Amino acid sequence: MNASIIDPLQGDFPEVIEEYLEHGVMKCIAFNRRGTLLAAGCSDGNCIIWDFETRGIAKELRDKDCVAAITSVCWSKYGHRVLVSAADKSLTLWDVVSGEKITRTILQQTPLQARLHPGSSTPSLCLACPLSSAPMIVDLNTGGATMLPVSIPDSNPGLAPPSRNKISDGTPPFSPTAACFNKCGDLVYAGNSKGEILLIDYKSVQVLAMVPTSGGSVIKNIVFSRNGQYLLTNSNDRTIRIYENLLPLKDGLKALNGLNETLNSLDDVEKLKIVGSKCLTLFREFQDTITKMHWKAPCFSGDGEWVIGGSASKGEHKIYIWDRAGHLVKILEGPKEALIDLVWHPVHPIVVSVSLTGLVYIWAKDYTENWSAFAPDFKELEENEEYIEREDEFDLIPETEKAKESNVNEDDEVDIVTVDKDSAFSDSDMSQEELCFLPAIPSPDAPEQQDKCLESSSKLVESNNSGSPLSEEGRPNGRAMNHASSPLEEDPGATRVKRKRKPSEKWLDLQL
Amino acid sequence: MASSGSGQQLPPYKPYRHVKALRGHESAVSCVKFSNDGTLLASASLDKTIILWSSSTLALIRRLVGHSEGISDLSWSSDSHYICSASDDRTLRIWDARSSTGECVKTLRGHNNLVFCVNFNPQSNLIVSGSFDETIRIWEVKTGKCLHVIKAHSLPVTSVSFNRDGSLIVSGSHDGSCKIWDAAKGTCLKTLIDDKVPAVSFAKFSPNGKFILIATLDNTLKLCNYSTGKFLKIYTGHVNKVYCITSTFSVTNGKYIVSGSEDHCVYLWDLQQKTMIQKFEGHTDTVISVTCHPKENMIASAALQNDKTVRIWSQDSPNAAPK
Repeated sequence: MNASIIDPLQGDFPEVIEEYLEHGVMKCIAFNRRGTLLAAGCSDGNCIIWDFETRGIAKELRDKDCVAAITSVCWSKYGHRVLVSAADKSLTLWDVVSGEKITRTILQQTPLQARLHPGSSTPSLCLACPLSSAPMIVDLNTGGATMLPVSIPDSNPGLAPPSRNKISDGTPPFSPTAACFNKCGDLVYAGNSKGEILLIDYKSVQVLAMVPTSGGSVIKNIVFSRNGQYLLTNSNDRTIRIYENLLPLKDGLKALNGLNETLNSLDDVEKLKIVGSKCLTLFREFQDTITKMHWKAPCFSGDGEWVIGGSASKGEHKIYIWDRAGHLVKILEGPKEALIDLVWHPVHPIVVSVSLTGLVYIWAKDYTENWSAFAPDFKELEENEEYIEREDEFDLIPETEKAKESNVNEDDEVDIVTVDKDSAFSDSDMSQEELCFLPAIPSPDAPEQQDKCLESSSKLVESNNSGSPLSEEGRPNGRAMNHASSPLEEDPGATRVKRKRKPSEKWLDLQL
Repeated sequence: MASSGSGQQLPPYKPYRHVKALRGHESAVSCVKFSNDGTLLASASLDKTIILWSSSTLALIRRLVGHSEGISDLSWSSDSHYICSASDDRTLRIWDARSSTGECVKTLRGHNNLVFCVNFNPQSNLIVSGSFDETIRIWEVKTGKCLHVIKAHSLPVTSVSFNRDGSLIVSGSHDGSCKIWDAAKGTCLKTLIDDKVPAVSFAKFSPNGKFILIATLDNTLKLCNYSTGKFLKIYTGHVNKVYCITSTFSVTNGKYIVSGSEDHCVYLWDLQQKTMIQKFEGHTDTVISVTCHPKENMIASAALQNDKTVRIWSQDSPNAAPK
């Protein structure tokens, strides 16, 4: 993209709240693969798709059957589908472009989190983590749910065999277990209440490896980085642990099976631990030793270089940013509202957080004027350079025509057509069409405004700079507060709650 | 007629022939553009209207009426459904090209002076416009709200357009500068030229977004690599001292630069060799705008007051039609 002219000297993580989005009470958010669309689940059962570039609403997915709060949203790999889990125990799969519901499945319990299979563009399988039982693989077409084992078979002989029908057969309740797919979706990584990370082959419903975490406390979240190379767990002992994934990114299952075979002689639990040690190694641990706070919604940045975690303390909206080496680089503080969800943009240094009041805050880098952008031959230097003037620098010599030296061979061939491959999306399958944006259909002006052509200038007495103040009043949706009319007035340092609309001086001067 | 010799066996250059002169405007035509799917041709004029022509039959389909002053520029959305026009009445209007009544869907108000140039972004959810009030405005298509007002230049803005992925905007102005802006934040990322003279009359990204074609009012067209800031190619031979003449890339059959000229001709240069390959004669006034069909080897050009026509030139048509 435009990486070549963006100043690399500024750090790659956000610093201030740039804007906030408001529409109903939003509970959970998810970016699509390229970060051009943001899906937000609301407390009234609707799912809103925001166009992240215009910060406006691109689509609303409404289902009259579902009025319970949404607990999680998840995109399919190329952005065509969105899976929404709600407090009324349902999982709804939506087609994004048409805004139509594809399937709706009711489970035995409310799923706290539901993840679509990451490998295909029209996934039919999803991983659901219910409120108080083991995570399950749900086939969205048939509605069938397969429970996954969350304990090593030997240590819990009472574990009922996994059932392929919807009816639960009296398995003892577990505390909520966190689980996620690996990058290509052939394995499920689950973190159980004993603090063990289990690698599960969901097709054969078997635990293939186990990695114990030190301290053995309940794992609350488990999530992979975008490139699949790092795994993060958030435990009840207030520690975030980063593991490095040693399995190959593709065919991880095959490699795991291979490892299992070589160790057939050992007894089961030991074997699982040894295989586990070949799949994940502990890389880092993060905790706040001073306040010992619990973390909420930790995740990686898009390139895996940074880790963020939200503070789970009530009444504060704090986001901690660490680099992968373990150093705390920044603490972002927002308004005094608890944080309930947090995501990092897949590509840009932008973080989006959801507060308890239902507002979505967008954090971005503080813009500092790049002075070298204002003249073609300005260059930014890292530090002061000693300038040694030439002997004749200030002599008065008759001006000789300075030949504009072009040290570029003008006969070189110039390629105006070939497009560079975007390295951030290395496994883009070009045969699959990715949904990057939803078509923007201009909403028609109300009829009476169209006739007012040149009268417009005198009518704009209202203090705002945006296009048509008359049409703003006419449309009473909650979006009027989303857009700042003119970021020229922004004061990047402060934590803004609402942007002030001030007329620019020039506009007032030219009032005719 | 030199063929572009780059060591490969390319077929010899086939000259463009005049196909038809489309008459319909009552005043100078200011801009002509093919839609992205190639089915329609839109032309805007100082007679305050836009005419939609079929690019296959070259017949007049519809006239879009609504502006109260002349129109300087127009742009198609990527799906070829909407047209946005920039007018001297200080507004921009979004038209639905498919509707049979040709009515205006939306009016974007905010500029303080005549709006001179406009473009959709590739995703077509944003519109960028440049005006004589020296600002660039970024509008959201869906609601018509102005998202950013950029105090870009110190003299009228003559040209604005997005790059391939919509992340950058290039702008040119009478103040002689050509600048690149971040489309999301509205901040200046780079200045390519900063001489007071000559004025920059037109600027546009190449299809792959790596190069910028810049026209200046000293009869010159330059191709620049915007990330290094180096000027790679210079094209001359035409006349361009007064008007903001648009130029474009022709990539359907070899790589060329096409531009209008104040000597009433359309010029075509070989991109690599910089040699002038063909000069299309036929217009009777300054050729202010040229556009290339996205798939066929067809070029449309528009001229000012004394001519008022849109002329179609094609490499593939069998005979030259009467002018």
